[in-house]
Amino acid sequence: MKPRTQVVLLATLMSATAWGQEVSLYGTTMAQMWKQETPGFDKATFTPATQYLGIDATKLGTDNLSLHLFGWGRTDLSDASNFDGSKSGGYLNYGYLQYRFDQANAEIKAGRFTTSQATGFEQVDGVSVRTDLRGGFTVSAFGGKPVYFKTVDPRNQSDYEYQRDFIFGTRFAWRMPKVGEIGVSYLQDGTEAAKDLDIPSPIDYTRKQLGVDIRITPASVFDLRGRTVFDVASHPDQAPGTRDRSRIAEHDYTATVKVGSQVTVTGNYAERNFYAFFAGTNLPSLFRQDDNDMFRGFGGSITWNAPTGVQLVADYRHMHRETVGDVNRGGGEIRWSSSERTFLGGVGAHWVNAANTLFVDPARPYRSLSHKEARIWGMVTRGKLTASLDGILQRYDRDNPYLVGIKNIYEVVGSLGYQATTNVKVSGDVSYGSTAVAKHETRGLLRAEYRFGFARKGGR
Amino acid sequence: MARNSIFKIVGVVLGLGFLMACSLISPETSFAATHPQELGAGRPICSECHSNDVAKGAQKPYASFDHTPTFVKDHRFQANQDSNTCASCHAQSFCADCHGAKVPMKPSTRFSDRPDLQSPHRGDFMTLHRMEGKMDPSSCYACHGRANNEKCAACHR
Repeated sequence: MKPRTQVVLLATLMSATAWGQEVSLYGTTMAQMWKQETPGFDKATFTPATQYLGIDATKLGTDNLSLHLFGWGRTDLSDASNFDGSKSGGYLNYGYLQYRFDQANAEIKAGRFTTSQATGFEQVDGVSVRTDLRGGFTVSAFGGKPVYFKTVDPRNQSDYEYQRDFIFGTRFAWRMPKVGEIGVSYLQDGTEAAKDLDIPSPIDYTRKQLGVDIRITPASVFDLRGRTVFDVASHPDQAPGTRDRSRIAEHDYTATVKVGSQVTVTGNYAERNFYAFFAGTNLPSLFRQDDNDMFRGFGGSITWNAPTGVQLVADYRHMHRETVGDVNRGGGEIRWSSSERTFLGGVGAHWVNAANTLFVDPARPYRSLSHKEARIWGMVTRGKLTASLDGILQRYDRDNPYLVGIKNIYEVVGSLGYQATTNVKVSGDVSYGSTAVAKHETRGLLRAEYRFGFARKGGR
Repeated sequence: MARNSIFKIVGVVLGLGFLMACSLISPETSFAATHPQELGAGRPICSECHSNDVAKGAQKPYASFDHTPTFVKDHRFQANQDSNTCASCHAQSFCADCHGAKVPMKPSTRFSDRPDLQSPHRGDFMTLHRMEGKMDPSSCYACHGRANNEKCAACHR
């Protein structure tokens, strides 16, 4: 969407809030400052100012119509902190009108919104509808122009934009009380095949996915859910003698079991075949579709919520990538919260063992990815004052090729806040740390959060 | 003449289809747009009050929505298919705090005064992401790959 169109849309949507009987405005204003001294580069001072703004206006003429808006803008008051050298930026994350019907959980959205009803998680400028049907069935659909920013390769920009002219998706599901749900969904991003363009393109950006999702919840103590996604787009024939590529883009299933009132156990299995999973990527240099690589992972966690406010979490995950090898990640965390939540604290540690990886650093094949991480934090609230301290240390193996000789990376953030009124809070942070880019880095941040309006719904 | 007949047939079929679709719509009233009672501070445990109920529409036990630490990590399962239930307490902007598609800073920086939140990418993730990407690039793609790639494109050309 062009900036001029966005401004017009924004002005129209904001003026529509005047009809709202319940209007809430959320804002956060932030000012940051840090200096950077990187060998080989000029010294730089960064002072970006960022404004977030959200509006929820309900009962626009009728109880069922509402408007939702969220966006942000930023500008650099000194050196440019954006990677592309620009000193300002902004974005409309969403802005849509919603009509909720009194019957069947039916709703219609129009404008810019995010949808996750079908196989994908998409941002769309368009329309979406959903409703419950008789017999436990539900149906939803959306269509519109996909919201993207840029493709990487400018040679393919026109092909990419031309092919991604329209995105649509639908999901049809059946729900059974206290048993579960099964759904089938389809998503298509782009309607023009690459071979049908005025100048046929060798790369096809059209994405077509078919998904099947399932949920089994026979009781509140057990929950199994997940999905399998198939790539159903047409692709060029494979070279003779090469291994067949899987059409299964993704399996992702998670089971949760509650043992008594204090213990929860979860387990997850995921598998993704990159050729199918990355089909239609708009970042082909990073998410490569030209190999048969795949990922398979499984793991789980155990959480114990003690009645004393203590929470213990232990987690483990095994990851296998065909072209890289095996990685194991594990660790734990202890959290404590006082009964009035005036003190919250936690300490955690995790390790990543990549002893069986390949090709990352041929000279030291198993050192590169292995590392350990430790974190400790605390937060105190006394009346209108809050204070917090958060420290994180990441310790890597010596001679890690990604870290220019550094072994330890750390960051400590201290924050003080004052809740001036129920709806206004100001806070300031100072952080100090060491990274692969900056060995000593101090940052400052000022933050003002405010909320005005009448609606009861809020957030965090 | 033939064209008119075709239009009439298509019109009748569409009309019947519309009537049939309307009759298929569930007669149940929708889930409450707003929770009828003010909730206390902290994460709510829905099943404390709705012990044996099944959430209308979602057709699953209210306990599935208990805001346990596990729920916070895996809330995508509820939010994807049952956003109506979420919306009875949360404004839409609550989601955008982290899932903004295109955001100017990491959630852990924006909420650096809230270390209790389970924000992703804490610390020097610029370094760490190269290793995470080697281990599982599909985990990046789920959130960033399809749209928010300007920062990626600065290096990954």
